[in-house]
Amino acid sequence: MPHIFRDYDNAIRHLQEYLLTMAAVTRQNLEQAMQALLRSDIDLANTVIAADTDVDELERKVDQTGMEILVRFHPVATDLRLVIASMKISTNLERISDHAVGIAKRARKIHRSQPLQEVQWIEPLYTHAYALLRDAMDSYTNHDSALGQSLHAKDKELDRLHKQLTRTLSEQLEKPDGGSASWLHLIFIARSLERIGDLSVNIGEEVVFLESSRDIRHEHRKPTPPTQPPSP
Amino acid sequence: MPSLSQPPSIDVHDMHFSYGDACALKSITLAIPENRVTAMIGPSGCGKSTLLRCFNRMNDEIPGARVTHGSIHIGGIEIHHPSVDVVKLRRNVGMIFQKSNPFPRSIHDNVAFGLQLHGSQNRDLIAESVESALRSAALWDEVKDRLHDSALGLSGGQQQRLCIARSLAVKPRILLMDEPCSALDPIATAKIEDLVRTLKEQYTLIIVTHNMQQASRISDHTAFFYLGELIEFSDTLKLFSNPSNPLTENYIRGTFS
Repeated sequence: MPHIFRDYDNAIRHLQEYLLTMAAVTRQNLEQAMQALLRSDIDLANTVIAADTDVDELERKVDQTGMEILVRFHPVATDLRLVIASMKISTNLERISDHAVGIAKRARKIHRSQPLQEVQWIEPLYTHAYALLRDAMDSYTNHDSALGQSLHAKDKELDRLHKQLTRTLSEQLEKPDGGSASWLHLIFIARSLERIGDLSVNIGEEVVFLESSRDIRHEHRKPTPPTQPPSP
Repeated sequence: MPSLSQPPSIDVHDMHFSYGDACALKSITLAIPENRVTAMIGPSGCGKSTLLRCFNRMNDEIPGARVTHGSIHIGGIEIHHPSVDVVKLRRNVGMIFQKSNPFPRSIHDNVAFGLQLHGSQNRDLIAESVESALRSAALWDEVKDRLHDSALGLSGGQQQRLCIARSLAVKPRILLMDEPCSALDPIATAKIEDLVRTLKEQYTLIIVTHNMQQASRISDHTAFFYLGELIEFSDTLKLFSNPSNPLTENYIRGTFS
């Protein structure tokens, strides 16, 4: 429903456009970083590293536009939640893009030192992390609170895969003839993909806040067991 | 976090109000908690000022204006009961208007006026009450050396605080404010808003405002009215962050269909 002030509608549209562009560039960076790793494509790795400045610039634009809306229009209700959620989602996207750059840099190092066939082991982890990011942004675009909320459960599978792969990679690293730094790079890449899952869950939580005004952060934490009183 | 479960200072039940044949308020049910600031918002003509004026029966002065159904209880007493003394009711339920309206007399006499009207003659007691009311209205330090100067020489913001002091001097329990800052600059507005926050410790305040930022800044609860109906009444933070009714949402966001 349009606002009485047309400038208000324009500012909100710009905010959403910047965020969606940022999400598209971030997804592309992650895709290309993984292609660079799996295909040993150094040029593609360099492209990802260069594109990160676009994401940084878009993050600044989201923050500037969000601040402008807060100052000029004093948003309330859905508008207020949209501004807050968009600014927080952009922070998560920027960190995801940083992880993509980290993956691209390690892909370059692996290629330059000792290429490994086993980089393919990373692919299942990537497929899950990418799906989480895609679902997180779909939940934002489609105003789908249920999809946003479902990401936490899906992230559990990513955590399980990450733990399993880290164990395997560590075993390789500990082998007498396996002391290649490339194994260590793969461990860090797996860690980045696991973090991308967590950051996508954060985005889903912001979508739940945006669409249904519920704060579901930290709801999944196990309750701390009560501390025993000191014995007399 | 203030709660709507606070004891009600004003209890309105299924109240209908008309100006002649024109129905201005329909089936209003509302419990205004005591020692809280309640804001009433809504577009022009929605009935918020009419309801405010019902609370001290100011509408009695308008020919044909009347409550046609329902009740308003203040402190457990139905204010339209024949035994209710309207002068005492208005002493108990003070009112501050959009435009400050000091009498063309001294600052001291403006504040003392209500006390004298209610029969107080003791000069020392009056002086004490005037000082106390001016202090409560955060005006004493600015006027203590010129109490016998004309009230009309004060600035707009000072005149409005003088009117608040005049209301406080007769020790009301409830203060009604109808757009009290609409004619004031931001600094004078901030002083009145600060004063409202302080006064709620001792008084129940109800403020009608078109300024939604003001409502969200100073009130604990907000009521939204539309076309003579109460659409939503809840904690201010809840109403401005996650309103329950789409009409409230559209109004506070400034959207139109």
